[in-house]
Order: sequence, then structure tokens, then C-alpha cells
Amino acid sequence: MNLSGIIFHIEDDAYEKLNKYLSTIKGYFNETEGRDEIMGDIESRIAEMLQAKVNQTKQAVLLADVESVIAVMGKPEDFAGDGEQKETTSDKHYTERERTYRRLFRDPDDKVIGGVCSGISNYFDIDPIWIRAAFAIALFVFGSGVLLYFVLWMIMPQAKTIAEKLQMRGEKVDINSIGKAVNEEFSDVKKRMNQFGEKINSSETRERFRHNARSVSRDVGALLTSALRVVGKVFSVFFLIISIILLTALLAAVFGKGNWMFFDHDTPVKLSIYEISKAVLPADISSELIVTTLILFIGVPLMMIIYRCVRFLFNIQHRNRIVNSVGGLLWVIGIAMVVYVGVRVGTDFSTQTYTKKKITIIQPAGKKLYLDVTTSDEDNNNTFIHFQRNGRRVHNHNWTIFSKEENHYRLGYPQLDIVQSETDSFQLVIIKSAHGPDKKEASVFAKNITYDVLQRDSLLLLNSYFDISEDDKFRGQNVKIILKVPINGSIHLSNRMERIIYDIDNITNTLDADMVDRNWIMTRQGLECVDCTGDERTIDIRGDDDDDDEKHTFIRKDEHGETIETTHGGKTTIIRRDEHGETLETKPADEKKVIIHKKLRNRNEGDEEDEGEKIIIEKEIHTDKDDKKLNTQLSIPFRLMPYSSSVKSLS
Amino acid sequence: MNIENTKAQMKKGVLEFCILSVLSEGDHYPSEIIEKMKNAKLIVVEGTLYPLLMRLKNDGLLSYRWEESTSGPPRKYYKLTPIGEQFLKELELTWNELVESVNQTIKKQ
Repeated sequence: MNLSGIIFHIEDDAYEKLNKYLSTIKGYFNETEGRDEIMGDIESRIAEMLQAKVNQTKQAVLLADVESVIAVMGKPEDFAGDGEQKETTSDKHYTERERTYRRLFRDPDDKVIGGVCSGISNYFDIDPIWIRAAFAIALFVFGSGVLLYFVLWMIMPQAKTIAEKLQMRGEKVDINSIGKAVNEEFSDVKKRMNQFGEKINSSETRERFRHNARSVSRDVGALLTSALRVVGKVFSVFFLIISIILLTALLAAVFGKGNWMFFDHDTPVKLSIYEISKAVLPADISSELIVTTLILFIGVPLMMIIYRCVRFLFNIQHRNRIVNSVGGLLWVIGIAMVVYVGVRVGTDFSTQTYTKKKITIIQPAGKKLYLDVTTSDEDNNNTFIHFQRNGRRVHNHNWTIFSKEENHYRLGYPQLDIVQSETDSFQLVIIKSAHGPDKKEASVFAKNITYDVLQRDSLLLLNSYFDISEDDKFRGQNVKIILKVPINGSIHLSNRMERIIYDIDNITNTLDADMVDRNWIMTRQGLECVDCTGDERTIDIRGDDDDDDEKHTFIRKDEHGETIETTHGGKTTIIRRDEHGETLETKPADEKKVIIHKKLRNRNEGDEEDEGEKIIIEKEIHTDKDDKKLNTQLSIPFRLMPYSSSVKSLS
Repeated sequence: MNIENTKAQMKKGVLEFCILSVLSEGDHYPSEIIEKMKNAKLIVVEGTLYPLLMRLKNDGLLSYRWEESTSGPPRKYYKLTPIGEQFLKELELTWNELVESVNQTIKKQ
């Protein structure tokens, strides 16, 4: 150790003690003019005394030596006690304003880099080694530890004066003292409230009230301020947590080259931020630019929020203009970059083009075409996000709407429309569309869409997705399939077709979802349903407006077969069938358990425009022998039913 | 009321006066001043002296010179400036007056 130019061999513990002693004194004189000079004097005096203690036989300075020196020199408090006026204005300020609660400071006496960890450990009474270890570990988590450390370094002021050091180790902040602080704030509010009330009461006459108006309004102000402080702290904790989570996610996405996952119930689709930017951005905008933009546009404000919250929570008064202005500047740059990228991407979407392709199909025997969706692994396994369609509907089945394959992206869904053919034959037209900065590029994108249709005799298999190459950009690619059906030609739509049929016109205005699993024939007026009535498998039976006369059929399927309940004219019949369709039993409904379900209505009744939700509510009414209704239970059924509009009780 | 505090306050006022008096006898470096003051039981710990010396120096009452030491780091030898001497004279007057009046007051009781 070097003291005033003299080298000492000093024991570790003695060194520690001496060092702490010196820096504490130094802290004490922080606000004093000529601090360094005083420190120099003190150091040389200590050096002198220590030198007297070492000799040829005893070369190292021991802890006892240092302690005796300190005894001679006096405690740090003594230095200022008789000497300087220790209460510099700022110290006084602090003590008055800050009460005795502990505050967060960087500890300059025990630091490895900036004293952040030891400051935190002081605050929470933990050994700094744990905090340091935590930061060291966080270093490997996408390097967020480094960033957090620097943010904290900026936020936390260094404990310079003794007063600050005392605050740093001040009254412990734990659940109790936080509770106490909040209580104090509340009782403060209460006290003010009472005073306020008294003031109002005491000012009985208007005259006096007017007199008091000024002080009353001042009280209201103070009252509001302390109430707001309580609320503000709660909110800032909330914001702090959210921001830290978001920031970590952002850093993970950017530096961890991590994937943004789109979850479904089974498999997540993993796309890194770099893949996304490659897929969406114009070729000349690098992914590095996008990463920088993201950090500036999202990361910087998040860091500012964290900064503000920590400052507010821990009552850090220390101001740092640079942080604010640099933060603001970076964010403005971020906004500018976002606008630039947005404009560039927007330009790339400015033109839309179509390519039209006729596909020759073999005319089916009997003028009947069966339409189905290709079964593929993708349909069942790699299923991802599901967008809402038609507003409230959320599709939750195993259908691919977006996935990343080996060298292409797979998107859903193409749209199928069925129209009348001008000729006497079935025709298939596939329209691929895409956007681009100009017609030429847009048509390239459109042409690159891969979409397959397969015909097997009278079975037409359509893909429920289309593919675009990995090297292509996402430019609003879409596929529309138009099937032209000749007059008197008929089609059958499989259940799975629901996914891709889109707003098919028909005579009865039946909704897409109700069109599947039925046979349709093309008439001069348009598509007409062949088997919408009288089929037991139909879910909806058209009824009269008269409720009593309505007929309802409710089908429940399970592994043992199906149960069909038909209600007509107030009577309910239950038919049970096994898995082969053999009828097992037919009986009137059990009086104790009448399953009532939603009345299912076809769109052609017209009056109910409300599409309702795609959840059927099964209502079980248990009737007791004595009482008519005891218990009404709602349960979600195991099978989703098509659109329905109302729940009707049959009891 | 804290008796120690009162004692300290009483001592505090005369400390500067004593330092100046010690220095009026000749140049000294801090350890010597402390030695004398310690003998007189005016100060207990050395730490108190340094800020005082610093302030007196900053106020122009003291000046110092460096002198090499055989047994350690170079020492600061403090001495009174003309202003310091003037200051000391006035303090001496005040002190005598004070002692007199204090004694009088005490005796009366």
C-alpha cells in the first residue's frame, strides 16, 4: 500500500480497515473546500505513525496497528464534529426530506466495477457476492446483465457524503418498513383529510369560508399529492415489472437470435427476428438496421421507463440530464427509422397484381364433383397461430395458417368460390395475387406462389394452404380458387371444406359453415341445397316461427356412437346408435334430464343477422319429483355446432 | 441536554485560538501542535486538527512550507501570517475579557 509516497506492507484485514477509514473520511469532507489537501495531510500523518510501528523485525502493518492509529486520529465523525460545519446545504436538504429510510446508492467503498452490486446488497442486506453472482449469470442470458448493470450504474447515484452513506445503510427496507411507509403515507392522507374536514366545519359562515378558501385549497393540493404518491408507487412497480419483462424479451429476440414463437396448443412455430425481417423487408434494408430500429424505438423508451420507475420508487433525487436528453434523442432517431422502414415497406405493397390460370379438370361421371381438402401432416401436426375470421370466430382446430418449412413458408387459407359455369363443363380457375412496388415485381411474387390441386376421378382435392419460397418476401400473397359448375352439375362439400370456402353464393343464403357436408346442385338461379332437410345428420331443422311447433335435433357423438335427440311439438325423442350407424334404441326423453340446446337456425330465415358464437350452450335441467326446477347447469359441449342464434328452453 | 456536546461546544470555540497561540511561539508541523494540545487535554483525537488547520490556512491566517523529514514523508510546517498575528491579538483581548467576565459571573453566584 502506498501512503504519501511511502510503501507499506500491510495485512489484508488491516488494509481493508484503513482503506475504509480513509474513504469514509474522504466522504465526510466531500463538500469541503480543499478536501484533497486535508486528505493528503491526514494520510501523511497516518503514514508517519505507521512507519513508527514497523521496524526491521516487523515489516508488515497489522490490523492492531491500524486500529491504534485510528484511535489516535479519531473517528470520522470527530473530524467534522469539531472542524467544519458539516451540514452543507445539500446534506440538510436530504435529511429533512428523506426521513430515515434506506436509499439506494452505489457503494464506492466496496466496488468491483461501479459499486452497483454492493449498493444493492446494502439495500437488501444481502452479501454482495450473491448479487455479483446473479449479474455474472445474467451476463450469459443474452448479455442483459451488462445492460442492466449500466442502466443501474446511470440511475444509482454514488454515496458520496457521510449522510448519503448513512442513508445507504439506513433503516432496513423490508416488507415491514414498506408497510410502515405506506401506512405513514396513508395516515398522512388521513390526517390531512381530517384537518381539511375540520377546516370546512370550522368555516361555518360563507364569510369565513371565503377567508379560508386559500388554505383549504392548499390542503386539498397536499392531500392529493400524498394520495398520488401512494398510487404512483404502486403503478411504478407495475410498470417496472412489465418493462423489465419486455426489455428482456426484446434483448432475447435481438441478441439471443432467439425465436419469436407463435404458440398453438401443440407446436410452436419458431421464427427469429432476422427471418421475419428477411421475409418482410425490402432487400436493401438489412436486418441489422431493423434490430437497431427496434432497440431505439422500443428498447430506449423501456429503459427510460425503468429509469424513471426506479428513481421514483427509491426516491433517488440525483438528476442526470444526459440520460434524459440522450434517451430522447435516441428515441427520435428510432421513430425516424421506423417511419423510413414503414414507408419503404408500404411502397413495396403499393401495387397489386393477379395471375389467372385455368386448370383443366376431368369432367366427373354423373356431373357430380366431390370436393375435399388434401390431408397432410401439416394439417394435423404443425399447426400454428389462428387468426380470427369473421370477427368473433376463432378457429382452434388443426389447420395450418402459417408455418415455416424447410425452404418455404406455408400460409393459409386459400379461398374457394363456386360459381355458375358459362359452359357445359366444370372448370377450375386459380387466381394468385400479390403486392409489389410495381406490376412487374408483384407479378413475380404472384407467380412464385405454389398451389396444388389434385383430381382423383370425381374427387377434387384442394390444399388448405399455399407455399411461398423462403427467398420471396411476404407481399400479401393470396390464392383464390374459382370452381365453375355447369347447370345441373352437382357438388358435395366435405366437412373439411369449411376452412377454405369463402362466401359462396347460393339461393338460400346459407352461410359457408352450414354449406359443408351437403350436396349442392347448380340451378339457373344458383346453387341449391339438395339435402338440407330430412337428413338426420343435418344439424338444423327449419322450424316455424311458432316456438311450440319447432323441431330441434341435437346430435352428440362419442366413441360409442351417437345420440340423436329430436324435439318436435314439445316432445323429445332420443335415438342411440352405435358406431356403425345401427340404431340401438329409441325412447322418449327421460323426464329427469332433458337436454336443451341452442335452436339452430338457417340463415335463410333471415331475421337473425347475428351470427352468434360458435359455442353451443348445453343446458341441463334437472327436474325433481316435487319441484320442477332445482338446478340449472351450463356446460360446454364436446362438439361444436354451427351458427346458432338463441337458446330455447323446452320445459 | 447532552453534557458532552456542551463541553465539546465550549472547547470548539477556543481551539482555533489555541492553535494560533501555539503557532505564535514558532513554526510547527501538525504532530507538534497536536502534541501540545494533547498535553493540555484540549483535543483527544488528531483528526479534528486537520480540517481546522485547513480552514485557518484558507482564511489566510496561516501559511506553510514543506520540510523534508528523516523519519517519514515531508512535513508541512505551519506559521502565522501577518493577518494571523493580528487575528490572534484580537482573540487574546477577547479571551481575557471573556475570562474576566466569566469569572466574575461565576463568583457572584
